[in-house]
Amino acid sequence: MAMLDVNGLNVYYGAIHALHDVSFTVEKGEIVTLIGANGAGKTSILHAISRLIPAKSGTIAFNGQPITGQDAYKLVGKGLSQVPEGRRIFAQMTVLENLEMGAYTRRDKGELQRDLDMVFGHFPRLKERVKQMAGTLSGGEQQMLATGRALMAHPTLLMMDEPSMGLSPILVEEIFAIIRDINKEGTTILLVEQNAHMALSIANRAYVLETGNIVMEGEASKLLNDDQVKSAYLGT
Amino acid sequence: MKSKLRSYIINLSATLLVYFVLSTLIGSGAINKYYASILIMIGINVIMTVSLNLTTGFLGELALGHAGFMSVGAFTAGIITKQLTASMGWDAAACLPISLLAGGILAAVMGFLIGVPALRLKGDYLAIITLGFGEIIRVIIQNMQITGGASGISRIPRINNFSITFFVMAAVIVVMFTLGRSRHGRAILSIRENAVAAESTGISVTRYKIFAFTFAAFFAGIAGGLYAHQIGRISAATFDFNKSIEYLVMVVLGGMGSITGSIIAAGVLTLLPELLRQFADYRMLLYSIMLILMMLFRPKGLMGTAEFSLTFVWDRLTGFYKRAASSKATPKPVTMPDSPTYAVKEGAPVLETRNLGIRFGGLQAAEGVNLQLFDNEIVGLIGPNGAGKTTVFNMLTGVYLPTEGDIQLLGQSIVGKKTYEIVADGVARTFQNIRLFKSMTVLENIKVAFHTRMHYSPASGIFRLPKYAREERGIEQRARELLRVFNMEESADLPADGLPYGQQRKLEICRALATSPKVLLLDEPAAGMNPIETRELMETIGLIRNRFSVAILLIEHDMKLVMGICERIYVLNYGRIIAQGTPTEIRNNPEVIRAYLGHSDGGVKKGEEGEAHGNA
Amino acid sequence: MVLFFNQLINGLGTGAIYALIALGYTMVYGIVKLINFAHGDIMMVGSYTAVLLMVNAGVSFPVALMGSMLICVVFGVAIERVAYKPLREAPRICSLITAIGVSYLLQNSAQLLFSANPRPFPPVFSVPPITLGGISISFVTLVTVVVSVLLMIGLNLFVMTSRTGKAMRAVSEDIGAAKLMGINVNMTISVTFAIGCALAGIGAFLYCIAYPSVAPTMGAMPGLKAFIAAVLGGIGILPGAMLGGFIMGVAESLTKGFVSTQLSDAVVYGILIIVLLFKPSGMLGRVQREKV
Repeated sequence: MAMLDVNGLNVYYGAIHALHDVSFTVEKGEIVTLIGANGAGKTSILHAISRLIPAKSGTIAFNGQPITGQDAYKLVGKGLSQVPEGRRIFAQMTVLENLEMGAYTRRDKGELQRDLDMVFGHFPRLKERVKQMAGTLSGGEQQMLATGRALMAHPTLLMMDEPSMGLSPILVEEIFAIIRDINKEGTTILLVEQNAHMALSIANRAYVLETGNIVMEGEASKLLNDDQVKSAYLGT
Repeated sequence: MKSKLRSYIINLSATLLVYFVLSTLIGSGAINKYYASILIMIGINVIMTVSLNLTTGFLGELALGHAGFMSVGAFTAGIITKQLTASMGWDAAACLPISLLAGGILAAVMGFLIGVPALRLKGDYLAIITLGFGEIIRVIIQNMQITGGASGISRIPRINNFSITFFVMAAVIVVMFTLGRSRHGRAILSIRENAVAAESTGISVTRYKIFAFTFAAFFAGIAGGLYAHQIGRISAATFDFNKSIEYLVMVVLGGMGSITGSIIAAGVLTLLPELLRQFADYRMLLYSIMLILMMLFRPKGLMGTAEFSLTFVWDRLTGFYKRAASSKATPKPVTMPDSPTYAVKEGAPVLETRNLGIRFGGLQAAEGVNLQLFDNEIVGLIGPNGAGKTTVFNMLTGVYLPTEGDIQLLGQSIVGKKTYEIVADGVARTFQNIRLFKSMTVLENIKVAFHTRMHYSPASGIFRLPKYAREERGIEQRARELLRVFNMEESADLPADGLPYGQQRKLEICRALATSPKVLLLDEPAAGMNPIETRELMETIGLIRNRFSVAILLIEHDMKLVMGICERIYVLNYGRIIAQGTPTEIRNNPEVIRAYLGHSDGGVKKGEEGEAHGNA
Repeated sequence: MVLFFNQLINGLGTGAIYALIALGYTMVYGIVKLINFAHGDIMMVGSYTAVLLMVNAGVSFPVALMGSMLICVVFGVAIERVAYKPLREAPRICSLITAIGVSYLLQNSAQLLFSANPRPFPPVFSVPPITLGGISISFVTLVTVVVSVLLMIGLNLFVMTSRTGKAMRAVSEDIGAAKLMGINVNMTISVTFAIGCALAGIGAFLYCIAYPSVAPTMGAMPGLKAFIAAVLGGIGILPGAMLGGFIMGVAESLTKGFVSTQLSDAVVYGILIIVLLFKPSGMLGRVQREKV
C-alpha cells in the first residue's frame, strides 16, 4: 500500500481546468519529485492534497485512508506536513515561535525540545537567530525556517513546494543536501520543483507535469538524461 | 443612428405619459395630498439613490456620508431662498433654480474637497473617512449661526411641487444614463472592475474617482435643496449617519450598478414605510434584516448591474425589430480615435533602459538592467522565478519608481511618469493574472482602451453632442475591426469572464493594442495554456508584429514559445541580466543552463555568493 | 490647572473604556479584516443584560458582570457564525454592509424590546472620590483605569505567549499557512470574537457605572469612538488600541473642558480624518504595499 495515492485528480480554478486526471503514488521512504515548467500545475497538486483548495473529482488516500473530504487542519495530525511555496513563514513571529507553530498539534511537550534540537541540528543558522523576527531573515534562512517548521510536526510525509525558489546556487545545494538527510532519517518526501536537475539528482522517482497533465514518469536517474526532459526546459 | 432616435422618442413619450397621468391624478384629487407628498419624497429619494449609486455602484467605492452632501445642499438652498425672498423681495418660485443650483454646486465643492484626500484610501478606510466627514459636516452645521445652530432653519418657502420634483428627477436619471454610456462612464466602471487594469489602459483612476464623487455630491445637493423646499424646515440631525444608511440600503437593494434598480428600490423603500405606518417601529428592524439577508443570499440586489430598457421591451412587444434598417441608413459622420504617429529614429531603439535598478528597503530587486527594444522586434525576457522580470515591467509602466537608472521611450525619459501617461506615450501591457473588466462585454473592454485616444468631454457625453456621437461611432468601428483581426468578432457582446481562458488572454492583448501603442509588454501570456492554445498564441503574436507596427517585449517561462518567436532574448537572474542573444546562443549558454536547470556538473561555481531575499 | 488635571483624569477614565472596546475592534480586524460595526452594539447588549440582571433579577453585581460578559460572547460568536463567516471570501463591501445591518438589527431589537427610553443603571459603588490638592479622582474612574490596564496587559500576554494566542496571530498573518500548521481556523476566529466581546461586556459595565443610563442607541457613539481609537493606534495592533483609546478619551475630555461640549464630537472625527490622511496605518502601524 502506497503512503500517498493520488488518483484521477481534477482541479479547477473558476473555469480553468488546472489539473487533468492526475494520478501518482509515493511509497514509504522514497523521495518522489514532480517537475515541470511554471504554470504546469505543480503547486495545485500540493494544495489539493493539503486540502487548501477543493478537488472537483479524484481520490487522495494517505496510508490507505481517504483524505479527500477532510478539513485541511486535520491532516497535520495524521502525519502530513507541507513546506508551502514562497515559504509563508509568520513574519511577525520569532523563529522560535514559528517552529512552535509547526508543533501546534503536538501534545508531547518533552518531545518538543528533542525535535527542536533535531531541527537546529539540520539548520544551525536558525539556532543563532532563535529570537529574531522571521520577517527579517534572508530568503535562504526563511526556507530553512519553513522546512524546520514543517519538520516540527514530526510528519511521516513531508511535502515541499519549490524549495529552491529565489535561492542562490550554494544555498540550493545546502537545502537539497539537508532534504536528503531528512529522508535518510526516515521521512518520506514529495518534492515539487522547478529546478529539475537538483530535484532529479536526489529523488528516487519522478513525474513530469505539463499544463496539468502527467506526461512522463520513471526513475529519476533515467529522466535526468532524457532528451524530452531537456527539451521541455530549454525548448528545441 | 435611426434606432437611437427611436429610443429617445420612446423614452421621452413614456416619461411624459407617466408625468401627465400622475399629475392629472394629483390635480384632480384622485391622489390626495398625502400620497402626492409621498410621490415627491420618492422623487427626491430617487435622486439621492441614483447619485449614491454612481459612487458605490458604478465606481465601486462604499461612501457612508452621502447625507452630508444632501445637508449642504438643503441648507444652502434654504438660506438663499430665504435671503432672496426676505431681503430682496424676490418671488420664491424664481429663487428655486438659483437656490437648487447653488446647493448642488456647494455640495459638489464639498465633495471635491473631501474626495481629493479621501479617495487616496481604499475600501474600508474610504468608507470610514466618508463617514467621518459626513458627521463633521453635521456637527459643523449644528454649530454655525447662519444655519440656525442645533434647531436648524425653518419657514423655508414650500414651493416645491410634483412637477418640479418629477422633472428634476427625470433630468438626473437621464444624465446618469448618458454619463454611464459615454466614455467617461465606461472609465468609471472600468475602475470598479479592475483599477490596476484601468490605469494600464490609460485611465487616470484618481481623476475619475474624484470626478464621480464630486458629481454624485452635486446631485445629492440638489436633492437636498428640493427637500428643504418641500418640508420647509430642516435641521442637521435629519441628515445623519442613519440617513446615509437608508440610502445605502436603497442602492444595495436595487443592485449596485443599476440605475433602474435604484429607482425601483427608492420607490419601494419610500412607499413601504408609509403604507406600513402602523408598523413604523419595525421599519428599521426590517431594514436591517433585509440588508443582512441580501448580503448573504443575493448581494447583487434586485437588478444586479442590469438596466431595464424600455426600447427593448417596446421592440419585443411590437415585433418591430429592424436591425437591417441601420445598415441601409445613410452613413453618419465618424471620428476615428487618434492613431499617434511615433517618431522612430533609424537604428535607434524604441525602448531602452540604462542601468535600471530598484531597491526596496534592504532588497536590491533589480540592478544595472540595460535592455533595448527596436521597432518591430519580438524580444523575450526570461529567468527563473523571483528573478525580477515583473519588477522590470512594473518599472517600465510606471507602477514602480526606479531608484537607479533611466528608461527612454523614443528618446524621451519616462521615469516618474504616471502609468496612464505612459500609456498615452505608447506603452501598453498585459498582466500575469489576466486583468479583464469581467462584467463588461468583450466589445466594451476594447472600447475602454480607446479612452486615451478620444477627446469628447463629459458634457459632450451627457448631452449627446455631435462630437460624442462621431467619436463613439469611430471606436465602435475600430473595436469591431480589431476583434475581427483576432477572430473574436462573434464574441463581441459576451461578458468577458464567460470566455474560455485562451480567448481571455487574446482579449487582454487585443485591448492593449487598442491603445495604439508602439511598445507592447506581454507578461507571461502563455501562463496556464495547453500546447494548442500556446501555438495559437504564437501565431497571434506573429500577426500582431506584422499588422500593427509594434515592438514586443515578452516575459515567458514556456521555452517552446520563447525560442519559437523571439528574435532576441535577455536572461534575468537575481535582478541582473546574465545573458543576451539569439535563441540559439541562449540555449547553449552555460550560465543560462545553470540558472534554469541547475548544475550540469553537480559542482558549485567558485566565487558565487550572496542570496536573494524575498521575491520580486 | 486644576480643571486641566480633572479633565485629564476623566479623559483617562473614558479613554480606558474606549480602549477596552477598541481592543475588540482591533482583534477582529486583525484576524478577518472586517470592521465589525456591530461591536458597539454588543456593548449595549451587555449593558442591558447587566441592568436586567441587577434590577429585575436582583442579582449581585459580580454575577451581573459575568452574565453580561457571557451574553456578549454568545451574541458575538453567533453573529460571526451566521452573518460574517459565509462572507469571508466575498468582496469587502458585502461584509461591511452586513455588519452595518447587524448593528441596526441589535439597536432596533433593543428598541422594540425595551423602548427607546433610557433606563437608569443602578449604582454599584458608593465610595467617595479621592482628592489630591483640589484634584478629585472618582473611585469609578480609578477602578476603570486599573481594570482596563490590567486587562490589556493580560490580553497582550495571552496573545503573545499562549498557544491559542499564537494561533490567533498566525491566522491573522496567513490563513492558509495556519491551516497547514493544523490550526482550526474557524475555532480560532470564534475565540477571537469571543474575547473581543467579553472585553466589550466589561467595558459596557464600566461605562454604565460612569454614565449610569442604558438606551438602545447607547453603543453607537462609544463604538464609533472606540473604532476611531483603534484606527488611530493602528488597526490590528493591540497596543495601538490601548494607546488610541487613551488619546481619544483625553482629547474628548479636554475639548469638552476647554473648548466646547458640542464640538467634542467634531474633534473626535477630526482626529480620525487627520490620522487617515497622513498615516492610515495608524500611529503604531506598518505601511502595506500592494502587489501588482
